[in-house]
Amino acid sequence: MYGTVVVENLTKTYYTKQRKGLFKSEPRNVEALKGVSLDVKEGEIFGLLGPNGAGKTTLIKILSTLLLPTTGSARLNGYDVVTDDNAVRATVGCMLMGDRGLYWKLTGRENLLYFGALYHYSPADRKRRAQEVIDMLDLGDLADRSVETYSSGQKMKLAFGKALINDAPLLILDEPTNTLDVPSASELRAIVRQKNQQEGKTVIYTTHIMAEAETLCERVAIIDYGQMLASGKVAELKSSLGREHVTRIAGVIPAKAVEAVKKLPAVSQATLGSVDGMAELTVMSHNGTDTLARLIETLGQVGATIQKITPQDVTLEDVFIAKTGRTLAENTAVDTGAKK
Amino acid sequence: MSAITLPNRTPGKPGPAALISAMFATVRARLLIVSRYKGQLLNEIVTPIVLAAMPILLGRATAGDRASEVFLANTGTANYVGFMLIGSAVFVIVSNAFWHVANWLRWEMETGTLESIYLTPTHRVFVAAGTGIYSTSRSTVGAFVAYLIGSAIMGINPFQGDLLIAFLFILFGLIPLFGMTLLYGALVLKLKEANAMLNLMQWVVNFLMGVFFPITVMPAAAQFIAKLFPPTWMTNGVRSAMLGVGYFFNEWYFDLAVLWFFMLAAPMLGVWAFKKVENSVRRNEGVGQF
Ligand SMILES: Nc1ncnc2c1ncn2[C@@H]1O[C@H](COP(=O)(O)OP(=O)(O)OP(=O)(O)O)[C@@H](O)[C@H]1O
Ligand SMILES: [Mg+2]
Repeated sequence: MYGTVVVENLTKTYYTKQRKGLFKSEPRNVEALKGVSLDVKEGEIFGLLGPNGAGKTTLIKILSTLLLPTTGSARLNGYDVVTDDNAVRATVGCMLMGDRGLYWKLTGRENLLYFGALYHYSPADRKRRAQEVIDMLDLGDLADRSVETYSSGQKMKLAFGKALINDAPLLILDEPTNTLDVPSASELRAIVRQKNQQEGKTVIYTTHIMAEAETLCERVAIIDYGQMLASGKVAELKSSLGREHVTRIAGVIPAKAVEAVKKLPAVSQATLGSVDGMAELTVMSHNGTDTLARLIETLGQVGATIQKITPQDVTLEDVFIAKTGRTLAENTAVDTGAKK
Repeated sequence: MSAITLPNRTPGKPGPAALISAMFATVRARLLIVSRYKGQLLNEIVTPIVLAAMPILLGRATAGDRASEVFLANTGTANYVGFMLIGSAVFVIVSNAFWHVANWLRWEMETGTLESIYLTPTHRVFVAAGTGIYSTSRSTVGAFVAYLIGSAIMGINPFQGDLLIAFLFILFGLIPLFGMTLLYGALVLKLKEANAMLNLMQWVVNFLMGVFFPITVMPAAAQFIAKLFPPTWMTNGVRSAMLGVGYFFNEWYFDLAVLWFFMLAAPMLGVWAFKKVENSVRRNEGVGQF
């Protein structure tokens, strides 16, 4: 039971008001989750992948008992999130909203001790566990400095330490690398992997960065508009795209190129994004070389200037594109105006 | 199954000792945090003196030498300086005790730590109680020091009458206040807003509990409402014990019994309402958004 998550048909609707000027407002419902089911097994790192606004945080908040579901059920470590919420809290370690969950006026150690108390460790055990976490994360001298003096990478590390304080078999991490630079992010991922491999902890890890999910997770679920688009082993998801070829074309590419390229018989999907300020067209097609010539010709006709063509391996991002016709960088939902 | 050990045998069902320990860890955390913001205690000592000085000086200015005579006729004590110093000192304790859960919730919402607390198996009521113990002790010490300094400045004897009974009224008065502060905290949890209401309520409380005047000079309806409010009994009890203004039910133990009743009823009502609001908030947007 420990280290498992079973989610069945979970839905969540937020009831909010759409403001119309100073005094007027009308009710507006946001269906953040529309029937999500998951089955996370003991000892795996499970990725929840989706663009901004997909519903990842909403799902995580229900799993961590911060929110009640509208319908459906979820069991973590065998405990139901609605009827057994305290047992769920005691047996899950969470890192939500990154470093905002810490007391910045306290030192790292004081934070860990306080949360240790809230997880009902005896004073002696609290001290021991806090020291363990400090050693584990190599916090060293930092531990006795107030959190406000930490760099953002150090704060995130401590926030992760807080998730470890109750030594739970299941860790829930909501975009833990969100504000981190590349080296700090990979350091944190390495620690997550280590906790998983050495201590057998099950991890649920949300991200909107495909590459991150690919390097870290065994299985992923892709979620968009509150629905699961696909889930499974990373390799399986990729091979589900079958014989598809992925070609990335960078340069000066007008928007109308997308429609033109999609009309080509072998092309199944085309999306336009941008990388480092340069437009990048991602094209999926059934046969590579034959189509390439026609692609170049078509792009010439719409006035595009091609600077680089890269045939590529299929990535999780391509899986997302194949399912939605959008890149991950595009936001899912229209902003509801909800203040976060 | 892997070699993972869980922190407690029955997860999420802590015994009373664990809860009390979490409560005092909160007191400690709060102390540590506030010790890193300067100037708080000073503020709490100066406020009641200034608060009391205004009506005292107003009294002198308008009624001149006859101030104490008029006051005696209306209240049963000529010691209007003591009356107001006690009133404002108790007011500081009461208002602090009354708002602390709301203030605490607001503060944790804004810093983002409220969700962290909700992630743990310690019920928020115990964290609130820890916060309450800390902030009430602090304001009680502040109010007492203010009362001593104020008495010295105004030239009255601070130790008069039955001090033990006065102390009992303060002690018994604080527990129903915890219930009321939970009610108010529940409101803040729902509305995600504290300031406008806090300011309004501050003056309503001030008026009802009779900080600067005996409630007997108020209209009957207002007196009735005031008596539904535990701090009114608390203030009057302290004044009666020290200055002999007279208990509402003639004997001190009757008045104290009324506080006893509040002491049982108010926290039950408070905890019930707080849990109810918590669930309704969790059913919708959650406690983290504001
Ligand atoms: N309190 C709320 N009231 C109304 N709508 C909300 C509320 N919280 C979230 N939403 C909406 O629910 C949807 C899902 O939001 P959620 O935060 O779960 O997305 P996410 O996948 O975590 O996105 P991100 O990657 O940006 O963190 C969004 O459309 C969001 O605007
Ligand atoms: Mg999110």
